Amino acid sequence: MINVEGLTKSYGSKKAVDNLSFTVTAGRVTGFLGPNGSGKSTTMRCMLGLDRVDAGSVTFDGKKYVDFALPLTKVGSLLDAGDAHKGRSARNHLRWIAMTNGLSASRVDEVLRMVGMSEVAKTKVGKFSLGMRQRLGLAAALLGDPEVVILDEPANGLDPEGIRWTRDVMRHLADEGRSVLVSSHQLVELSMVADDLVVIGQGKLISSGPIASFMDQHAKTWVRVVSPQIDALSSLASQAGATAERTATGADFFSISAQQLGDIAGANNIVLHELSPQTGSLEQAFLDATDASVEYRGQDTSSPWGAPPS
Amino acid sequence: MIGVLRSEIFKLRTTRATKVVIAAAIFLPAIIFVLTSVFSYKNGKVDGSLVASLGNFAPLTALLLGVVGVLCSTQEYSQGTIRITLVATPHRLTVFWAKITTVFLVALASSAALVVVCLVPSKLILDYRDISYDLIGPDIRVLFGVVILFTLMAELGLALGLAFKSSPGAISAFLIWPSILEGLIFGLLSLAFDTNVMKYAPVQGNGFRLVFVYFSEDDHTWLTSLMYFSVFVGLFVALGAVLFSRRDA
Repeated sequence: MINVEGLTKSYGSKKAVDNLSFTVTAGRVTGFLGPNGSGKSTTMRCMLGLDRVDAGSVTFDGKKYVDFALPLTKVGSLLDAGDAHKGRSARNHLRWIAMTNGLSASRVDEVLRMVGMSEVAKTKVGKFSLGMRQRLGLAAALLGDPEVVILDEPANGLDPEGIRWTRDVMRHLADEGRSVLVSSHQLVELSMVADDLVVIGQGKLISSGPIASFMDQHAKTWVRVVSPQIDALSSLASQAGATAERTATGADFFSISAQQLGDIAGANNIVLHELSPQTGSLEQAFLDATDASVEYRGQDTSSPWGAPPS
Repeated sequence: MIGVLRSEIFKLRTTRATKVVIAAAIFLPAIIFVLTSVFSYKNGKVDGSLVASLGNFAPLTALLLGVVGVLCSTQEYSQGTIRITLVATPHRLTVFWAKITTVFLVALASSAALVVVCLVPSKLILDYRDISYDLIGPDIRVLFGVVILFTLMAELGLALGLAFKSSPGAISAFLIWPSILEGLIFGLLSLAFDTNVMKYAPVQGNGFRLVFVYFSEDDHTWLTSLMYFSVFVGLFVALGAVLFSRRDA
């Protein structure tokens, strides 16, 4: 289990992480979300002792990272797939890492097999695609067979098959009882694998807990109705405080439950072809939740595609 | 510590740049040394011992070994592997000492290699040319000087690399200081004060003198030069250690 308590980190006068607290539970995949510049990578670097924290603490099953004699056997991490010497072979890259923690060369070969890179073990890292480097980074993270796995954008640059493979790996690791913390911008992918979410904005915690409760709290809900008498239903629903938006075949009703709409339709003999409660996507919920904490927002709203993202 | 040291040595062994510079550090002087044995000494004898002649070429090797020291640290930053190094070994001073020891071992091995690749072929050539020479003679001190100079210059390079974190910056500083700036600064000071200020130049006035045979009365003694240069390098190594252990990776 990872316990982050009151973590604070500043660069000069700018607070990158501000009194951040959350936990990552064993046996679950925890998604770590936030807009660009929200402090996700800084938090991960602080967790691993790469950046000095100004205040707060991070413990792994009660121990600080620096207190582990062989940290790779406790915590495996992938921070940046580019962190490898381009002139070294994949196997040699893993071998020097293994040596620091007394891990054997056979374990290096084992993780290379696990990530499907045995055949390119002697190929230099500089010749790898970004996807291959991600796999190598994942192999490095798994080298010590760690109980905790921290991954920063592991699916970055992967093709759809690679993304699904990464998702399966994370699920498998969590099912084995490991704590998995993964930051990602691919919200659809994350929604398919994460059990819990930690959402931050401008270094501060926005939400932490099971993904279902995040969705309950932040996702839009509405009722989709298909009916030949949609105008009559809209008029009656508005009297009950609902708002309606017309669609091609009916309307979407907000601020009213499917049960209430069904009761209104039944009481007024209105024919319904569809009555279904809808929930917004994780992406929409995330954008809504972090809207106030987006730091660098594009201003050009005259663009035909809308303002550029932060 | 042993695992981290093995890892550092392995890292050095598995990068082309360091291997090329080490090879250049050993074989460039060796080629000149051997060519000298082939074409010089027309008067039929070598002045001084062969070992003492090593001193003429040692500064070149020392500078190149310093570059190896720089690369030992800066390559980690340029390639991003420093993050993995420090995640694998969060105690930074352990990594620091492993790097110091690695560079020391490289300098030691290079000293031995330089002596062998310079002296063995030269001895054979001089024997063949029937030229008289002393192998060591009374100048054994030069041999120690070579080892010490190589070691201290390599450690100085490492320390500068840790301070600068970038190869171009650290290598420029490392090469420009002894080859240009020291001569300019201490030469001008000598002119200004009309005295031998050059003997206070850390590298040219003391470090490189460790491999000299002859010292004038105005110079520091060999032992004083050794202490002076060691303190100079020690200060940079201490600075490197402090910056390495305190800075964010």
